[in-house]
Amino acid sequence: MAEEFNTDGMVDMYLFENGQLLEQLEAITLEQKDSDGFDEVAINEFFRAMHTIKGSSGIMMFDNITKLAHKLEDVFYYLREAHPDNVPHLELVEHIFQVSDFISAEFDKIREGNDPDGDSTELVAQIDEFLERIKNGITDSGKEVPKENEYVAPNQFYIAPVSSSESHFYRIVINYKSDTMMANLRAYSAVYALGEVAEDLQYIPEDIASNEKSADIILCDGFKMLLQTQASMDEVRNLVDNSSEVDTIDISECSIDEFMSGFEPASSPVIDLESDVNTIKKREIEKEEKQQKKKDEPVPGDYVIQPKQPGKPKVLAKHNEKKDKQQSFISVSISKMDSLMDLIGEIVIAESVVLQNPDLQVPGLNLSNFNKAARQLTKFTSELQDVIMSMRMMPLTNTFQKMNRIIFDTSRKLGKNIALEIVGENTEVDKSIIEHISDPLMHLVRNSVDHGIEDTPDDRVQAGKPAQGKVTLEAKNEGGKVFIIVRDDGKGMDPKKIFNKAQENGLISDKMVLSDFTNKEIYQYITYPGFSTKETVTEVSGRGVGMDVVVKNIQQIGGRLDIDSVEGEGSVFTMKIPLTLAIIEGIVLELASSTFVVESNSVKEFFSADDAEIITEPNGEEYVVIRDEYCPIVRLEQQYHLNLERRVKSQGIIIVLEHESQKVCIFADRLMGQQEIVVKPIPTYIKKVDGISGCTQLGDGSLALILDVGGLIQAERS
Amino acid sequence: MEDIIEELEEDTQKDKYITFKSNNEFFALELKVVDEIIGIQAITAIPETEDYIKGLINLRGKIIPVIDVRIRFKQKPFEYTDRTCIIIISVKGTVVGLIVEAIAEVVNIPSANITPPPSLGQGMSKNKYVYGLGKVGDSVKMLLDPEKLIRDDEIILLEQAAKDAEITEGSDK
Repeated sequence: MAEEFNTDGMVDMYLFENGQLLEQLEAITLEQKDSDGFDEVAINEFFRAMHTIKGSSGIMMFDNITKLAHKLEDVFYYLREAHPDNVPHLELVEHIFQVSDFISAEFDKIREGNDPDGDSTELVAQIDEFLERIKNGITDSGKEVPKENEYVAPNQFYIAPVSSSESHFYRIVINYKSDTMMANLRAYSAVYALGEVAEDLQYIPEDIASNEKSADIILCDGFKMLLQTQASMDEVRNLVDNSSEVDTIDISECSIDEFMSGFEPASSPVIDLESDVNTIKKREIEKEEKQQKKKDEPVPGDYVIQPKQPGKPKVLAKHNEKKDKQQSFISVSISKMDSLMDLIGEIVIAESVVLQNPDLQVPGLNLSNFNKAARQLTKFTSELQDVIMSMRMMPLTNTFQKMNRIIFDTSRKLGKNIALEIVGENTEVDKSIIEHISDPLMHLVRNSVDHGIEDTPDDRVQAGKPAQGKVTLEAKNEGGKVFIIVRDDGKGMDPKKIFNKAQENGLISDKMVLSDFTNKEIYQYITYPGFSTKETVTEVSGRGVGMDVVVKNIQQIGGRLDIDSVEGEGSVFTMKIPLTLAIIEGIVLELASSTFVVESNSVKEFFSADDAEIITEPNGEEYVVIRDEYCPIVRLEQQYHLNLERRVKSQGIIIVLEHESQKVCIFADRLMGQQEIVVKPIPTYIKKVDGISGCTQLGDGSLALILDVGGLIQAERS
Repeated sequence: MEDIIEELEEDTQKDKYITFKSNNEFFALELKVVDEIIGIQAITAIPETEDYIKGLINLRGKIIPVIDVRIRFKQKPFEYTDRTCIIIISVKGTVVGLIVEAIAEVVNIPSANITPPPSLGQGMSKNKYVYGLGKVGDSVKMLLDPEKLIRDDEIILLEQAAKDAEITEGSDK
């Protein structure tokens, strides 16, 4: 289409920005899907978003996206201008979703380096038909159809200057916000937009498409254009103001002579020798006033909306207050953050290597200055850690918002009426965790909609529940973990049914009976591969793959899935996930010449085994009595078959660990101290060992295994 | 340009094998899978794993599992000494250290000098790590298939199953 230029680096920008626009768009849609129509702000927002996507896709030459975005832009143009009140809102919402799905899918293709080859023709036709229908509805009622938002395919850029009496000449200066990235591209898109109306166009700097450095010049001096066109000043302004990054646009009409003479007068101040000082000052003031006036005029982005016709009540979505977008962000690539994280991990280790250096153990050494400095260092490294941690923390808001969409889609597909309640979406978790929970969460939500909520509203009414089903998404922090809870008020699960099914599939041996298990244990069986009690497979779920994948994903990040349910009242799926993956405070202990680390949070107390009262059952199970409480003992040396040479069985230190209000004791030969440890995963080459969640490097460079208390308790019970 | 360098590198490594001694036999590994060779280090044992997996070592902050080749071949374990080496190899993204008695040398074995091991039916299982016999002068080196060496058949099967599940899972969406 346009001139060829190198798109390296632009693609990322394009995907990033338009991806955000799409997300925004979806969020607005979801927010207002339940009202009777979009409000003015939303319509304007859609219009702008689509306009931007259209423009930038045009530059990138993604024709299908351009066409589709243009079509949807048409629809919103019409909505904005005509205020039709016969719009089938849900249908419109559906169309928006289709468009955003299509574009997202194309973005994915681009991201993977493929050509966005999706065919949008059908979608365009559908939307066309939709638009026609609303329009006809209005013409029928005798209103005038507003002029269509003409889209002239931008075929050419340069049209030789055509001498035409109606031609206007404009001098245009666009100033972009100082933090604009790739301003040369913005400028290019402005040039592109003007291509539709330009008879002749010159601009400075000239090499915006090929030279990235031109961006700096544009940011500094503004982007200057000379335009010959038939269009009016406002039309030109409309075309140029296509991005939120535009700060000011200065358009002034000029004569053909000025136009011909190029940029010179504009870029260097004219030294006016003939006028006296006052005239010059006056001129400047006038100029300033003019600019001031321009600023006060409505910017074309804030489209002025005519008041709605009286006597036509219309429920609009709640008027949104414009969100303050002033907070400044920079986007950093994840890999850089990760390597920063790694580095800090190494620093933490290096720090403990220095501070625990054996060279310092020489008796009689005066270390007071060293210790002072060391404390300072420790303080700063731990602060540094906190900062980098908080940089990686993100609220779950976006993840939860996406679920809104899932509920909307699946419930419509299944013909169920379901509302979503979101609690605690501001809970922050590590970015890497967010990536990992998105899929499992989606699965759980789908499951709740499909399996959880009753099939028809009548079923619900009969059970004494409101006709509308409810799915609750909740997030909260608890004891160094994030709980993400998916709760539905549907029919719940029948433990007996699951038990029978599990026995059928050979997951439970025939000798076992239902009463051998707690309900929670029974429910865990639904996470086994190939397990689905749903009699029929639906499009949404029920094939039995899924829950096991969910559990696998959660386990991968050190979390677990708890399932609870009350038949007839609903089910609760709780993901318990560690807040961060990287650095924990740990207690280092030695046992049978192996070194282990256990998270400080889970250590309740420790005491010498000599004082303890240990009870041994005939089958070898041991308990220790702590303040009239019986606490089971796990002998790590037995469980892991460690070589215990030099210790009498009852000697050592007993460490009481607690995990989710369950207590367990372990023995240790020696406590080595407490230190910050950087959790490193055990290479996947080695199969998972119960009760061990990772390894870490100690101060002396050796490795220690990290004990996973939850896993220990589970291993002990089974 | 990079392609050329890569090609050259490939060329210089072609037909080159690193040989090591284990239980009086000489084995050979293709040079291109070998990352580096280090002396024996402190090994942190991992409980409840296969006996040939000796544990983890810390190589400049990277955690690498090490396996004892002798035990892997179901032979008698040997005492680690100063001569004991760890060959760090990376196979399809998996980095593993091989504990061997002693490194011998790097040799050139042109493919013409390599013959597949004779198969007598029942000998198959024993031969599974060795895919060829390479003649160097008068001696014969057994060429090891590094992937089979570090992976259990069981694990390969499991991974295949997991992949299958993922595929069905994908189509389920």
